[in-house]
Amino acid sequence: MSGDRVPIETTNKMMRLMMEYYLGAKAAEGTSQKIAWVTSGAPVELLYAAGIIPIYPENHAALCGAQKMAVELCEAAEERGFSRDVCSYARTDFGSIYTGKSPVQGLPKPDLLVCCNNICGTVTKWYQNLHRHFGVPLLYIDTPFVHDSATPAMLEYVRAQMEDTLRALEAFTGKTITTEKLHETFQLAAEATRLWGETLDLLAHKPSPMTSFDTFVHIAPIVVMRGTDKCVDYYQALLAEMKQRVEKGIAAVPGEEFRLGWDNLPVWFKMAGLSKRFSGHKACLVAATYASAWAIPIDATAPDLLAECARAYLTVYINCGLEERMRTLERMIEKYSLDGVVMHSDRSCRAYSLGQYELGRVLREKLNVPVLILEADMNDSRVYAEEQVNARIDAFMEMLAARRRL
Amino acid sequence: MTFGSIEGLAPFEAVCAEPFALPRRAAAGGRRVAGHMCTYTPEELLHAAGMLPVRLLGWTDTTHRADGLIQTYACSLVRAVLDLGLSGQLDFIDTMVFSHTCDTIQNLADIWRLNLPGMEVITLSTPVDVGSPHAVRFYRSELARARGQLEKRVGPISDGAIFEAIDLYATHRAEMRRLYAIRREHPGLIGASAVQTVALASFVMPKDEHLALLRRLVGELSRGRSKGPASSVPRVFVAGAACQEPELLGVIEEAECVVVGDDLCTGERGFSIERVDAAAHADACADVADPLESIARMYLVRRPCAAKHLSGHNYAKWLLKTSRDAGADGVVLLFTKFCDPWAFEYPGLRAEFDAAGVPLLLLEVEQHMPPTAQFETRVAAFAEIVGAARTDAARKERQG
Repeated sequence: MSGDRVPIETTNKMMRLMMEYYLGAKAAEGTSQKIAWVTSGAPVELLYAAGIIPIYPENHAALCGAQKMAVELCEAAEERGFSRDVCSYARTDFGSIYTGKSPVQGLPKPDLLVCCNNICGTVTKWYQNLHRHFGVPLLYIDTPFVHDSATPAMLEYVRAQMEDTLRALEAFTGKTITTEKLHETFQLAAEATRLWGETLDLLAHKPSPMTSFDTFVHIAPIVVMRGTDKCVDYYQALLAEMKQRVEKGIAAVPGEEFRLGWDNLPVWFKMAGLSKRFSGHKACLVAATYASAWAIPIDATAPDLLAECARAYLTVYINCGLEERMRTLERMIEKYSLDGVVMHSDRSCRAYSLGQYELGRVLREKLNVPVLILEADMNDSRVYAEEQVNARIDAFMEMLAARRRL
Repeated sequence: MTFGSIEGLAPFEAVCAEPFALPRRAAAGGRRVAGHMCTYTPEELLHAAGMLPVRLLGWTDTTHRADGLIQTYACSLVRAVLDLGLSGQLDFIDTMVFSHTCDTIQNLADIWRLNLPGMEVITLSTPVDVGSPHAVRFYRSELARARGQLEKRVGPISDGAIFEAIDLYATHRAEMRRLYAIRREHPGLIGASAVQTVALASFVMPKDEHLALLRRLVGELSRGRSKGPASSVPRVFVAGAACQEPELLGVIEEAECVVVGDDLCTGERGFSIERVDAAAHADACADVADPLESIARMYLVRRPCAAKHLSGHNYAKWLLKTSRDAGADGVVLLFTKFCDPWAFEYPGLRAEFDAAGVPLLLLEVEQHMPPTAQFETRVAAFAEIVGAARTDAARKERQG
């Protein structure tokens, strides 16, 4: 079936939800309502249970990137001494702090900082800099890198810190977090995570009802509102629409011929361009390690909730060794019937990117899956070589087409 | 600055001229060699296992083999060491130990074991939050895991052997600190590039042999009568990650400055690990009979690397104070390109040093490369700035 793309209706709901979230947080600035800046891999459930509004500089940076404001902001940070080689999210956000500029007129100032290093070591340094800049308390959660498997000692170490964080949040707000409240929050988070996972599962359907580029847009609520009922409502709506699209046979890429996977962060400033380039080849991106990182099930009925929380946050994709990442990619290739994998070698994200050459080599040699490695950056368009990227995508797609004809 | 000739330096220079010759001979003689890339690697444990611990630096001038396996936006240290491994030049290594350092090295560890399957690889998830009340307990468990993996390879490692290694290393590091104290207190006696050569030699030598030579050198220097440099000679402090090329420090000296101290992991920071006084930790249930706990404690309380988190520690303030205490007029930050932990320190350092009016120079280096002409030019310009700062300060002192 071929034809025009049918837009995803829930997108408007998402835009409204996110706008309300940012405006709501902005309105809370300077009131008794506490605001915390947190890393994308931090246990946000604890913050919602404590009644604190979590704000995500990473999500904000992505927003700036998508609105093509990142370069101007990065330059402002570079003027203050930030190297052009460090994380472009961090540069974007510091630029926004220094200039007050962003699509949402900057973020509300934090009363608290919560940093969990399960996504990279960069956040450790990023939050140390935020701590120096704002002079507000910094809670730090150290999740040891899991090269092989999570040991009992690792789980115990992280659990102890989850408990410390919970107590510190109570001390910070002066209010006790009841067990009921904690369970309720984790329940909501687990439900939203399940719905998001189920939505991503639908992309295994041929043709896929949405692309990974769509999932990069619809990921925002699961990242920032996990643990709220608004988040659950939202993913119920998204899932319902996707189920409907599957039933009606609506394809995200009309005439879908190729199904591709994506590894690493999106290229925020080129989402539309890349989406068009691939769909021009009747290729649909249907699976992404980035999108599924927020679909890892969490058991809200676990007797020791903090231990479960420790397990979930310790073993996120990006905190695991290459062999585990390889297994995840293998499952993804199988489950989503991928014809090839696109790896975004993200110049300013060493945690996610270094090791991709090795993963690519194994995919090609062991699984006979074609791999395209695109050298780019999530936010810094100055290092993006458009013609080169497009030429490489075209050549890759031609190669996939030739393979199919064999 | 020129320095008088020092007899005791020759053996260290000979070792550094061919850094792999000695470990290669040790391996040929039947001693297992353990390679690593970070000063948080508990060498005591490896020594107690009968191994020769070797800290690897990028002793090569090419990275083309590594470039196929890791992006060029990985730092030069990692690319160079990986290249050495892939080229077969590290075939004397029995076991590689990767202590968690940063995002780049954590990924390198996995790339390494997938591509160099002939070597045993031990990963240690060393705590990042070195001040966490739970860090000692966790780190101890990681050390126990490493000990278990080593024992499978070499047989039982006794507590006594670990304690002996702790003693040897504590003595060796204390002697290195004596050398750094001489450099600080008598700047004309020995140059920083020479001191760096001594430190580099220690990375590939058995520590008892290095200690014997080091004692002789310290003795020679202590007997020396230094006139010291003229008081007008500017004093410089050097900070950063590793400094593989003593020549980089040599350039600073050639620009008529003296280096009076450093915070480098190939320098004073790396040798800041001290035996932890059990009495001081009695309240924290220190088990003094447990050698692994001793190791865990001393590595966690050492001077932290930029890749670590230590609540309440403000590195910019610390560096300003430490460099001033050492009598420095300015600080050079040797920055390895693509080193995230150090890159993130720079904005804070710049703000702090600008506010204090203390000259700070960021110099980008590639670990496996000798100094470039641009490097020399920038050092020379900086030498003039710190020289002027020193003259200024002296004038004010006279007037005041």
